[in-house]
Amino acid sequence: MTVSAPLGDARHGKLADNIVGFARTLRRAGLPVDSARIALAQQSLTCIDVGQRQDVRHALASVFVSRLQDQGVFNELFDAYFRNPDIAKQLMAQLLPQAKAQRHPPARSSRAQEALQAPPVRSNAKKPSDKEEKIELDAAMSASAAAHLKQADFESLNASEYKLVEALAREIPLPVPKVPARRRQQATQGDQLNWSALMRSAARTDGDYLALPKRARRQTPLPLLILVDVSGSMQRYARLMLAFLHRATRHTQRAVFAFGTELTDLSRAFKLRDTDQMLSLSNLLVTDYGGGTRMGQALVDLRHNHGRQVIGHRTLVLVITDGLDTGDASVLSEQLGWLTRQARATVWLNPLLRYDGYKPLAEGAQTLNRLVDQTLAIHNLNHLNGLALALNRLLRQVR
Amino acid sequence: MASLQSVGYFPDRSLATAVHLAMRLGRPLLLEGDPGVGKTELAKALALITARQLIRLQCYDGLEQRDALYEWNHAAQLIHLRAAQSQRTPEEIEREVYQPRYLIKRALLQALQTPSPGAVLLIDEVDRADEPFEAFLLEYLGEYQISIPELGTIQADIAPLTILTSNRTRDLNDAVKRRCLFHWVQYPDRARELAIVRKQVPEISDRLSEQVTQFVQRLRDQPFKDAFSRAPGVAESVEWAKALVALDTLALDPEIIEGTAGVLFKQRDDVSVLTPMLDELLAPET
Repeated sequence: MTVSAPLGDARHGKLADNIVGFARTLRRAGLPVDSARIALAQQSLTCIDVGQRQDVRHALASVFVSRLQDQGVFNELFDAYFRNPDIAKQLMAQLLPQAKAQRHPPARSSRAQEALQAPPVRSNAKKPSDKEEKIELDAAMSASAAAHLKQADFESLNASEYKLVEALAREIPLPVPKVPARRRQQATQGDQLNWSALMRSAARTDGDYLALPKRARRQTPLPLLILVDVSGSMQRYARLMLAFLHRATRHTQRAVFAFGTELTDLSRAFKLRDTDQMLSLSNLLVTDYGGGTRMGQALVDLRHNHGRQVIGHRTLVLVITDGLDTGDASVLSEQLGWLTRQARATVWLNPLLRYDGYKPLAEGAQTLNRLVDQTLAIHNLNHLNGLALALNRLLRQVR
Repeated sequence: MASLQSVGYFPDRSLATAVHLAMRLGRPLLLEGDPGVGKTELAKALALITARQLIRLQCYDGLEQRDALYEWNHAAQLIHLRAAQSQRTPEEIEREVYQPRYLIKRALLQALQTPSPGAVLLIDEVDRADEPFEAFLLEYLGEYQISIPELGTIQADIAPLTILTSNRTRDLNDAVKRRCLFHWVQYPDRARELAIVRKQVPEISDRLSEQVTQFVQRLRDQPFKDAFSRAPGVAESVEWAKALVALDTLALDPEIIEGTAGVLFKQRDDVSVLTPMLDELLAPET
């Protein structure tokens, strides 16, 4: 039995197609859109007046968008798509050539499909003369070299370094100070009765209780905020430092930022389990590698864009820099003051401190020296075990 | 929208659409936004217009299943166990001990079992709870039901209208987000804020209310916005208007603003930054 759908019903006809197409476009743009969402979106349009463009926008936004960051992308795509879907499709197809292949789902796996499709293209194309080929190659290389200058180049760890980092992280654990968490767990001594355990034990012994099981607050490590200087003067240290911290703090809640002239959030890279993958993603993310240091400005950025997410009164802050700051000293002092007031403790790791007779003469170093709770010399980063031991000692002093 | 306005809540059209959808589709609505933009107030207003009971669950770090969903009344169970052990068989005791009357209902279970017309459940500041707690919420948010191993599954008689609020001190789990509709609550524009201030502080004069909203709106816009660590929300501007009325203020001047700046800003730095800007902020519009 077929019943013609009422006019404006978004579950049938052209509008339904458009919603699906729009949702797929959003998905390609990186929004987490699944088929349940698409169904919900179609359902949502039955609840509003689809003649009102703004209402449609708001309704679809409340279904498809789930983060503030996605709102802008959504609005742009909504404007593009619901003005003329074809234009948007073309646009997306141009941006992402593989989108075309999705229209006819291949029976074979995509790798096999690609392998089968590739040769005809090459044989059909007119073979370019040697000269032309050369020009193309040159252009490609120069472009990539230019891009490379800006990106960080943390080399991936060689085998012995990898082993060393692994072993150190295993053998010399970072004793991040622990504090009582709000949750409780079974314990021999505690301040609350464990009622459910008491019930179980009473049931075993015919309603008698021989002991009173207790619950105490769990211990949890302080969350970490790690700020790593990737400016020119710190190049030698940043890479191994990142690698070591990545392994050593893997069981701790942590937020990681690199700073030179600007601030880069490395938390995404630190989520990867493999240290090499972490380094290569960091390479992509850091765009101010080997430049100057403007720590004050980076902290302004941190405060305005991430402050509430990464800093709390329990946070332990590790700042890894030589203190050779080229930015405005008053900004640094103001922002660092804010940081140290917010955090539980601030620890400064300084590679220059290992020289005899080092005095914090640079303005930035003086500010850091004045405001942080503890400082530590990074003795010789080629010998990471020294660093791990020193960090271990230092963190024991943090309360 | 009109009904929300009738109880003194002035939403913009996008928020009204999101609320409408949440009610029609029976989905939870996740509201994010800066502090003081009226996220919690929305739930209160919704409870008023739908004549439903408002059940509020304030989240905090370490909130556990037994604080939010249900808890067995172990002490009463133990007493029953002792009293009955000589007369009954173990099977009978076991059946009797796990009865709904030994269940202490917390906010979520209460919301599920509220009789008609149902409840408005406000799960406030869900970002303050830790991640394991979000997992407890999933079954409730997705199906409006709670499984209690000893009793079975308890389903909602009437799906509660569920509002979650978050101040984004951390990102919520995707699993929670995909079960909810989402709306980012923005600061209201000037006309709406004026309406809110006049509604909340009826005794304020027209001139003063206009000055207050203009001043606060300017604080939230460039170039002043960046100077402060946190711009004042609507809650603050209403409080400020109340303070000004209490002081019998007729019009804003630098002196009275300095005296009452503590209502708008809660950081010493922000108050000290405000003082030199006052002349610029009070300048008439060009």
